[in-house]
Amino acid sequence: MTSAQVFLALIAGLFLAPLAVGVLTGVDRRVTARLQSRIGPPILQPFYDIAKLMGKEPMLANHWLAFCSMLYLAGAVTSVVLFFLQADLLLIFFVQAVGSVFLVIGAMTVPSPYSQIGAHRELLQIIAYEPLLILVIVGIFLATGSFKIEAVYAMEQPLLFKLPLLFLVLGIALTIKLRKSPFDISASHHAHQEIVRGVYTEYSGPYLAIVEIAHWFEIVLILCLLSLFWSTSIVGLVLLLGITYFVEILVDNTTSRMTWRWMLGTAWITGITFSLINLLWLYYG
Amino acid sequence: MNFISNFIQSSRIKSPWVMHFDCGSCNGCDIETLAVLTPVYDVERFGIINIGNPKHADVLLVTGTVNHRNKKVLKNLYDQMPKPRAVIAIGACGLTGGVMREAPNVVGGVDKVIPVDVYVPGCPAKPEAIIDGVVKALELFAAKS
Amino acid sequence: MPDTLLFILVVVPFIAALGLYALRNDSLRMVLVLATAVLLTGSSLALFSHETAAFSTTLLGLNPQPLIVLLDFVVLFIILAVGLSAKHRLIIYLAGAQIVLLAVFKLVSPAEATGQAMFLVDPLAKLMVFVVSVVGSVIVIHALPYMKNHEEHLHLTTSRQPQFFAVMVLFLGAMNGLVLTNDLGNFYFFFEVTTLCSFLLIRHDLTDEAKANSLRALWINSLGGLALLIGLLWISLDLGTVNIQQILAMTPEAAFLLLPIGLLCFAGLTKAAQLPFQSWLLGAMVAPTPTSALLHSATMVKAGVYLFLRFSPAYSGTFFSTTVALVGAFTFLAAAGLAISQSNGKKILAYSTVSNLGLIIACAGVGTPAAIAAGMFLIMFHAVTKALLFLCVGTIEQRIASRDIEDMRGLYAVMPVTALIAVLGALTMILPPFGMLLGKWMAIEASAHNILLVVILALGSAVTVLYWARWAGLFMTYPFKGRIYAESQPAMTRLPLFGLIAAAVLLSFYAPAIYNSLIYPTISTLPLAMVDAVPGTSWGILVMERGSFPVIPLFLVAALGLIAAIYFYKVAGKVKPTGPYLSGAQSPDNENEYIGPLRQSILPATSNYYLEKIFGESTINRWVNTTAMVLILLMLGGGL
Repeated sequence: MTSAQVFLALIAGLFLAPLAVGVLTGVDRRVTARLQSRIGPPILQPFYDIAKLMGKEPMLANHWLAFCSMLYLAGAVTSVVLFFLQADLLLIFFVQAVGSVFLVIGAMTVPSPYSQIGAHRELLQIIAYEPLLILVIVGIFLATGSFKIEAVYAMEQPLLFKLPLLFLVLGIALTIKLRKSPFDISASHHAHQEIVRGVYTEYSGPYLAIVEIAHWFEIVLILCLLSLFWSTSIVGLVLLLGITYFVEILVDNTTSRMTWRWMLGTAWITGITFSLINLLWLYYG
Repeated sequence: MNFISNFIQSSRIKSPWVMHFDCGSCNGCDIETLAVLTPVYDVERFGIINIGNPKHADVLLVTGTVNHRNKKVLKNLYDQMPKPRAVIAIGACGLTGGVMREAPNVVGGVDKVIPVDVYVPGCPAKPEAIIDGVVKALELFAAKS
Repeated sequence: MPDTLLFILVVVPFIAALGLYALRNDSLRMVLVLATAVLLTGSSLALFSHETAAFSTTLLGLNPQPLIVLLDFVVLFIILAVGLSAKHRLIIYLAGAQIVLLAVFKLVSPAEATGQAMFLVDPLAKLMVFVVSVVGSVIVIHALPYMKNHEEHLHLTTSRQPQFFAVMVLFLGAMNGLVLTNDLGNFYFFFEVTTLCSFLLIRHDLTDEAKANSLRALWINSLGGLALLIGLLWISLDLGTVNIQQILAMTPEAAFLLLPIGLLCFAGLTKAAQLPFQSWLLGAMVAPTPTSALLHSATMVKAGVYLFLRFSPAYSGTFFSTTVALVGAFTFLAAAGLAISQSNGKKILAYSTVSNLGLIIACAGVGTPAAIAAGMFLIMFHAVTKALLFLCVGTIEQRIASRDIEDMRGLYAVMPVTALIAVLGALTMILPPFGMLLGKWMAIEASAHNILLVVILALGSAVTVLYWARWAGLFMTYPFKGRIYAESQPAMTRLPLFGLIAAAVLLSFYAPAIYNSLIYPTISTLPLAMVDAVPGTSWGILVMERGSFPVIPLFLVAALGLIAAIYFYKVAGKVKPTGPYLSGAQSPDNENEYIGPLRQSILPATSNYYLEKIFGESTINRWVNTTAMVLILLMLGGGL
């Protein structure tokens, strides 16, 4: 990459991508409202929420929360920037795990039962989606012969044709990462509040804003991973992302939250079966 | 920096996250409050989200008569809300203690324990009135900060 | 010059052990232990300046071979005597069989083969010597104040420290010998010495449990010893040599030799406590913590994985090799799962050791240069971090009198320095840019062509994150009330902790340099059958054929993130803290408690998910042990 390209990649990764995801989240809430025959908030609502949280009084039960929220953001941002710099996929995945781990550790610093339960559920979510993401990345490796992102862009055919089942597996991981039903067990958006918002319970005010922004970066990363499945044309890419996200919203609105046992079982059994079939087909087909 | 502080200022009005606390009402006002969150009234239009956690909330909706037992809880929840924050007392009981105000264990209205910004009368208060109360509270928000 | 270094590394510990056993004076013992530690550390570092060389050496002008033979029989007869006095049939049979076979071996072994090029100093050996001598020395130093405390606690009339330190130091000498020797016969001797040492260390406290567990360790390792001896005899009869380098040079043509190699690997599996032999390492927890630290990080189990790496050229590219990878990977996943279900801190560490060693064995089984490099990285980083964590748990245990991780909740408020070091140590196990993760990354990338293997590794990797993150978070669960003051500790407790955590971070930072100076020379010269491009480095970025890992750039980014986070931490510290959210029912006297029935203040209690229904020992032990057994049979079958 030339230095101009690196500069552009940095701008895109650091600013444009999270802004786009902010808008996307707004559209998500709007579409959800329509599905529930409501009108819904303005498209820019997520930005208002963040700005409001930024302007609130800082109030913490343990100041390590501030430390951890910042490292969550750092991990998420670094992983996105690495993606835009076309680094190694497996490495990007491990870097984003840094963020998730610090989110959990932050929630665990406060001896509040809600926060503790949320932290553990978040850990269970992590072990549910981590193997799936690694397998998707391995699938990409088997299809392209390299873990580097540039190898995907060198493909002549969209990856989706080679990895249809792994795309579904990535869908499961995406649902967990987006905190959408039926996998919204550690913390959810919108009105569910049985566990007072789980892992987010003790993050408040500006620190909650940081955590939300970090979550946007995480969504950027996973959408980027999705976009690799149709890397050959912009139209295909946008269509794929749009349809996938719409299906996510549909699933979110038509399913109810399940238990962590069900989540772990589904994610591992379906995910690994699909991955194995797809990988074997790729390897021997 | 001016632009950013202006944006934060205007966002405060556009994103009130409400928390609802029942001090011991007959549940009439509670049902009306929850009705506000249904698709019929769709308060998410105004960015209002119902939140269960005082640490995330901007507006506290209180229904029912305050007594000696639940006043500590009410005070504690209020203390755990980061500023700026607003309190809306809903219904006759929340305003003054209602029909129970003479009872020996009753403290009275919400404003005996925490400062109240907006009073929404009614027995029970109508959903429209509650929405109106939140909007009034937001105007106060803007004036406050 | 290498002669002198070798003498210090291998023979001096044996002499020091004799001295330590004789000494009854505390301060003299301390001086002797410190002197040995300094000598070992210095020599292991000095060894790096030497070229790769195979050579013979003499002991004060004499051929040491007869002495080794004599000691070999002495060790076996001691084991036999232990078996007889404990009336443990299995140990008697195993020791008896070994004595007979060893006698046969000494009679028929090619005489000219022994004694020539007895030692080999190559990068793999240098790495292992570094791990054994430096990490081992740190553990021995940490043991000085620990054992003093330990014995005060037990109210012993006569100190048993002389035996303890003698065996610890002896252990280091035996391990150094084991990794430096180029003679398979001598390898077997050192292997048996480590078995005996571990037995003595595990039974040190002489409780009934300690005695029972030490006997279990002895018979499992003797089983391994027997397998090793049979393999050794077979190889020496077939090839007419016991020179390891010559064996490795010959084996690619002699494919029928896979079965004896398989027996050697079997010995490695028992030594490395791989499933289903993990029980001896778990039982070793009853020993004082420095023993566990030594067994788990620098010595003993590392002998097992060293054997796999050393002999990897002998089986690389065969079906046998693939099964070795599967055996290792399966242990990696199963032991990590078992670790989830534990709340005993030392048991979690033990399962984590078993799991990580499984990963190293999987690397040896994959057998490409990149995989071997991953295995070497993992050996080094695992030794440092695991030693650190064991020493942390030992230090914590002496303070809070518990090794249950639930009791370590909020330890930061009690002993902040140790808690922070432990948290950082746990994070170096799972997060980039630290070395363990670098090794895991290389391992997964190197094995990505084997689908079954990579699925198992992916699952194991996720499960590992759970039990470490949970533990790290739990240390920090404390009610925030203001300034917390660092605890006071003896210098010999604290310095090893600081030294090891600094080593864990710095070695990770210098991983590219270590790769260039130690690992690259090894993997580029190994006669592996499965060859992919050898990874290289540029600008602190480790570049493999399949991907790249920017070690130093990531460290810089991590440093930036850390600075920002510390700034936030400082700013947040200025604000008066509120209590946790307790549904508004907070007690006015203590904001971490809530008002419960009868207006009592109650401290809310939470505990971890341990997922016992899924990963509990009683649920899966039988299944994973059976599966592991089947896989090992498959592995040995693959050798046929």
